[in-house]
Amino acid sequence: MKHEILEQMDGYGDIAKEIEISRKYGQDFSMERGEVARYINRLHPATIKYKITEIIDESPSTKTFRLAAQNNYLPPFQAGQYVSLFLEVNNIRTSRPYSISSSPDQTGHFDITVRRMENGLISNYMLDSLVVGDEIESSGPTGVFHYNPLIHDKTMVCLAGGCGITPFMSMVREITSRGLDRTIYLFYGSQGIDDMPFHSELTELSNKFNNINYIPVLENPDSGSQCKSGFITGDLIKDVLGGVGDKSFFICGPQAMYNFCVPELEKLGIARRKIRREMFGTPARIVEYNGWPDEIKGEDLFQISVNGSESFQSAAGVSLLVALENQGLVVPSICRSGECSMCRVKILSGKVFQPAGTPVRASDSQFGYAHSCVSYPLENLDILL
Amino acid sequence: MADYDVIVIGAGNGGLMAAARLAKKNVNVLVLERHNIPGGCATSFCRGRFEFEVALHQLSGIGTEEMPGPLRRMLKSVGVIDQLDFVEMTDLYRVHSIPDQLDITLKPDRQELVKELQKHFPEEKEGIAGYFDFIYRYFSEALGAFYMQDPDISKEKYPLYFEYALKNADEVMNEYLSDPLLKFAVSPYWTYIGIPPARMTFHDMASMFVGYCEFKPTHIKGGSQTMSNAIANGIIENGGRIRYNCGVQKIVVKEGRACGVVTDDGEEISARAVISNASKVSTYVDLIDPEHVPDAVKGELKQTTIAQGAFCIYIGLDCEPGEVGITESTNFIFGTTDPEKSYQQMRKLEITEEDIMLLTCYDLMDPSFAPKGTSQVVLVTLKYGDSWLQVPPSQYAEKKYECAESMLKTAEKVYPGIRKHIEEVEVATPITCMRYLSHPKGSVYGFDHHIKDSELFLENRSHIKGLHGVGGWNGLCGFQPTLTSGVVMAKTVLNELNAE
Repeated sequence: MKHEILEQMDGYGDIAKEIEISRKYGQDFSMERGEVARYINRLHPATIKYKITEIIDESPSTKTFRLAAQNNYLPPFQAGQYVSLFLEVNNIRTSRPYSISSSPDQTGHFDITVRRMENGLISNYMLDSLVVGDEIESSGPTGVFHYNPLIHDKTMVCLAGGCGITPFMSMVREITSRGLDRTIYLFYGSQGIDDMPFHSELTELSNKFNNINYIPVLENPDSGSQCKSGFITGDLIKDVLGGVGDKSFFICGPQAMYNFCVPELEKLGIARRKIRREMFGTPARIVEYNGWPDEIKGEDLFQISVNGSESFQSAAGVSLLVALENQGLVVPSICRSGECSMCRVKILSGKVFQPAGTPVRASDSQFGYAHSCVSYPLENLDILL
Repeated sequence: MADYDVIVIGAGNGGLMAAARLAKKNVNVLVLERHNIPGGCATSFCRGRFEFEVALHQLSGIGTEEMPGPLRRMLKSVGVIDQLDFVEMTDLYRVHSIPDQLDITLKPDRQELVKELQKHFPEEKEGIAGYFDFIYRYFSEALGAFYMQDPDISKEKYPLYFEYALKNADEVMNEYLSDPLLKFAVSPYWTYIGIPPARMTFHDMASMFVGYCEFKPTHIKGGSQTMSNAIANGIIENGGRIRYNCGVQKIVVKEGRACGVVTDDGEEISARAVISNASKVSTYVDLIDPEHVPDAVKGELKQTTIAQGAFCIYIGLDCEPGEVGITESTNFIFGTTDPEKSYQQMRKLEITEEDIMLLTCYDLMDPSFAPKGTSQVVLVTLKYGDSWLQVPPSQYAEKKYECAESMLKTAEKVYPGIRKHIEEVEVATPITCMRYLSHPKGSVYGFDHHIKDSELFLENRSHIKGLHGVGGWNGLCGFQPTLTSGVVMAKTVLNELNAE
């Protein structure tokens, strides 16, 4: 509005004076240059650069990599959260999420614990090739699989399978080292005792602390073993706990474990809101997943064209994200489990398979966006990055 | 070097709308967005089986197909209206005091709400009628003088506008109303501006009230993310380009003219015009080298102060809203009738009953919003970011839970049993707002909207040739104003491009 009009308004004079004063003495924002990024970097850095300071043998198939920040600063995290390592292996740039197994009060380093996997490109590369002194990079800590005092009971029942022990290690270590007023029942399923990372540390902590209860459950126990045997069933859980009331349940392990344990917990009458499960990568064999169309085989090839220019062939059983990475195309990714939406791409034409329950925003689906880490081509695709 | 007609920094409401209008006019436009999804505040996130609405509570300016509001017309102009389903909200709001002195629900209808208020405050019957009569009389003048920009504006033609446009809202309420509870009941919308009635313009209060009553508060099916995705889709379909996960580190200024940007990856992209949907502070302080920043904009920045961020709890309940007593979609809960006290409280970290709190439940008007048998609830209050910036990172999570805990305790007084049904919960603080919006102090309302900083005194003008601002830092905040800023700016930029 024109100045001469404004001047005629009731109360203009006082406001004009106020403006004059604030323009003379107001805060000069040039002091704030870079402030937002600086603060956010302390809490949620996009990347952390480390040096590997130690590599610890945990079991025949498992090693812990001790990572110290190159700039000597590690952001805080909540026990149970993960970082996604950014790596380049065989000229392929990719990422892999790993739960932090060290305690949040250990601010000098993050531990990540890696298990050898059949055909595990990255895990095997890490176990075989990385040495102390190597430099490595990750995302900031993230994830929602952690204790939340607003809704979780102080008694946590944790069900771990295989490498799914890592987030619980962080929780147990935090509770014991900080003396937190919380109780853990940790059921740890494994085939045998000889390849069970952290077994002795957990046994010790459990002996020393009344609020840590460690229950190893072995599929093939040695004769004379004191351990529970078989699977982590509802009956077994009930036997150990007595009652299941006032407890929150946390599960982390391979897909098969969720398929088995969630119904077991439901049988005990545990409400859905009391059960938390960690995302743990993509299904090993997507073609066996519920809802996969019978007529399509994992090795069926489809043409994938990107941004209307590059085009290549990829198999139905390979996720779009991996297919793109194999072509040397960089798609940012963090969780690789369908959860974080970092790797969303627009499918302009063609159909993809996404496992039911993948948390994709409704309007993303409406406008053709898919999380490429859990999307598998069922037809030739035309995609937009 | 890649080259475009126009580069838009940030895919918030303003940036998206500007780009959509330009793309529609065949302008070669590139949108650069730091995040992996469009929308800025107009977004959602998934937890468990819920998709949470982040920021939209009551969309204004939509109206009906028969009586379209200004925003409906704008969305139509970018070709996205057919992709959106709007649901009219049946209540304006419920206000509920703690302890239980007042509990009143107003409908978005002038006659009905006057009647309802008169029923609760019979001794102020005339004052209530007089106040709303005045609001409407004032607004009809403001419509011509301000919104339609009558070129023949004069004091004689618009006497009420000239007398009241710069008055504060409290002054006008006091002319008609006396019970503090009543005054509270007619003014909780001050929290949509962030400045209490005694400090905000009566103009903004009147405009909001009339706007919501006449065009009705609206919800978008699928949430505000649907609108953001629809507009982004429109940009792409009209030949525009959007790059996600691509922040901007610099606006290139040569010989006093903005002529491109440098991305976080160091790529330089040139353009004939740059539209910044980043905060005005980051635009002129972080993105442009100091030697190119004109004194005029330094003065504007010094004139202003930074508004509040939001403290929000996003809640997924494993029951229907009615089961915990939620019967209205928009609920203001307050423990003091003195807005000044609530305002002071916004400077503190701790949350007490003096914090005015908004509880929104979307499922009441859109049962498809959350899975069957569940519901989604958001609790919000406003907090200045300064106190949060003092929290050491190592104590951040703990403080966040402490504050959320006391907020939930307050909510429980009005909705007993709500705690027992929480299946998913996520907490956002001003720091969260800062992280996702890159706004200084996590402000969600841009600058404080003191009377001296209203649009009358701080117009959205370009300070560097070829550089323009859209979004809530260049005028009023909120969905309708920010979307509108994009449309207005697209027109300005188009004129400039055509003139060259």
